[in-house]
Amino acid sequence: MLQIQNLHASVEDKTILNGVNLTINPGEVHAIMGPNGSGKSTLASILAGRDGYDISEGSATYLGEDLLEMDPEVRAAKGLFLAFQYPVEIPGVSNTYFLRAAVNAVRKQRGESDMDAMEFMKFIREKIKILDLDPSLLNRSVNEGFSGGEKKRNEIFQMAALEPKMCILDETDSGLDIDALKVVSDGVNALRSPERGFLVITHYQRLLNYIVPDYVHVLVDGRIVRSGDKTLAYELEEKGYGWIEESLAGAK
Amino acid sequence: MLITEKPHSLISNFEAVRELLGLTGPESLRAVREAALAKFAEAGIPTTRDEEFKYLPLNRLRETEYVPSYGATLSEDDLRGMPLKTLDGPCLTIVNGEFAPELSNVSGLPNGVRVRALSEALEQHEGLVMRHLGKIATHEGKLGTTNDERFTHLNTAYMAEGVYVFVAKGVMVEPTIHLRLITQADHGTIAVHPRVVIELEEGAAAKIVESYHGLGGESFTNVVHEIALGANANLEYVKSQTEGGSTIHIANQYVDQKDGSVFTSNQVAFGAAISRTDLNVFVDGEHTETSLNGAYLGQGEQIIDNHTRIDHAKPNCHSFEVYKGILDDRSVGVFNGKIFVYEDAQKTDAKQTNQALLLSANATINTKPQLEIFADDVKCTHGATVGQIRDEALFYLRSRGIPEMDARGLLVYAFAAEVLEKISIDVVREALEAELYRRLNRD
Repeated sequence: MLQIQNLHASVEDKTILNGVNLTINPGEVHAIMGPNGSGKSTLASILAGRDGYDISEGSATYLGEDLLEMDPEVRAAKGLFLAFQYPVEIPGVSNTYFLRAAVNAVRKQRGESDMDAMEFMKFIREKIKILDLDPSLLNRSVNEGFSGGEKKRNEIFQMAALEPKMCILDETDSGLDIDALKVVSDGVNALRSPERGFLVITHYQRLLNYIVPDYVHVLVDGRIVRSGDKTLAYELEEKGYGWIEESLAGAK
Repeated sequence: MLITEKPHSLISNFEAVRELLGLTGPESLRAVREAALAKFAEAGIPTTRDEEFKYLPLNRLRETEYVPSYGATLSEDDLRGMPLKTLDGPCLTIVNGEFAPELSNVSGLPNGVRVRALSEALEQHEGLVMRHLGKIATHEGKLGTTNDERFTHLNTAYMAEGVYVFVAKGVMVEPTIHLRLITQADHGTIAVHPRVVIELEEGAAAKIVESYHGLGGESFTNVVHEIALGANANLEYVKSQTEGGSTIHIANQYVDQKDGSVFTSNQVAFGAAISRTDLNVFVDGEHTETSLNGAYLGQGEQIIDNHTRIDHAKPNCHSFEVYKGILDDRSVGVFNGKIFVYEDAQKTDAKQTNQALLLSANATINTKPQLEIFADDVKCTHGATVGQIRDEALFYLRSRGIPEMDARGLLVYAFAAEVLEKISIDVVREALEAELYRRLNRD
């Protein structure tokens, strides 16, 4: 579903990604772990189509098409979803209005008709229960005045509403207490299916106790330096990133 | 050679209506009008060399020949395109400065509430009206070195018709009171000078929505408000200005707040070629709350000028102010926010924000916060931003599938809608949101 090959990227002449290779098939959950500054969030941003990166080499293919050529809205319409590390506050736009515009934009791409207001509210009330979100948040402006936990839950709520094929979670666990982490993870796990791929980006192994990955990759200095199953995450938790960095230095 | 300039029509017209105006109100008003006219004649139409009009070129006003206003006969059908056509509650309508009984219905108001044409109110309860008429609309004795009240004087010179709203002590008015001030100037370039007097006695509460709307032709609206809020009174006030594209709209609004009163103003300016509002709040009591919210949109060559002024004359009062404007094409926005904190006004807490979104390289905003503080234990903040759409927000919307053009439109709309959200009357807020959306899409 998603193939990343030898991806190199830089920002203002500073190299961030240094040849990333990764293939995600439908139904798989991949986790990317790595120390601060290793390029994890840059990878997520590039996949979602954020401006400001120079791609000097490599490619990313999504459902057989060149992902990097697509506008962000096209990626979303084709089922790619990024849960932001820092969800953006948009005063003046109600959550409901925003979600309906998004859901209908994605439906249009799939050749489905717009949902009317009644249909949409019914649909959304079902989804919101899963994330244990206060329904009054629907009438508020997008993310405005939301607590950190509410913002992250709102991201997963949007994911549930948009029903994407490929879900990227960028440090969704950061800033969450244990209860919120559990709610968010339950929300993600409810969406796991044989048709859907996940890329879970995190600094800590903790999240992976709840969202159990099929594969774990370690990103250091813009390159995947080790891949394995979930046990790799435990090993990292125990020994720290220093262990990987040292073993890399030793190999040189 | 001595060149005597012919007086401007705004001055010379007085001759023709002097006797007519004299029929309204007590005899004493005759002298008040004459004196006010003399003051305006002396000051003249301001130029951009006058400090308070630095960014407001009024050449158009200077060069236009106005005729005294006269009524027009309209029916509800003629008001079809008006954004706030009807609120299905008490409504009083002024057309071209004259009371339009056929478009008004103020029945069903509770005891102690009077909504009248000003002329009628002066006949029925002169004493009550004269408590405030001409007494609130003045900066005399207040701080400020550039106080400029010439358009208030001009209004006073022609003062006769307008609106009077009175809410007696302790009365809470449930339905929103709707005032419609409409100009229809297809048959002559008219100048109208309505005067609006609003009094809420102690503990009274009301919501008043005023909509200004133009139905064609070129005109000059020069309105003055005198609003008296007694102790613990609560007024939510909305002014919606959607005058016609050839209109000059000037409003001088004066509010006097007593102890514990709450004043919430929501000002919306979408219409007129040139619009200027001076909103002056004199806080003459402790523990008051003042919220001034403003949203405006400039397109084409529109000029929208908002001057606000809060006089914190007493201690322990809060004021909160946010003005946001969207400026496109060659439009010009002006914001001047004065806050005076008098020597006695300790523990004043005042916050002022104004933000402008420029959508075109040719749009301009002139912004000036002006805080003068004479007390030492106060909290006053102000902030002004001028900007374009936030990239972060744009990317967020696009990443959810919303196409770039739609996402931009949504963010522009949201910028001003954030202020409209503060209007508590649902039908009014929704109508103004729809009007903003319609104008942004140039429907």
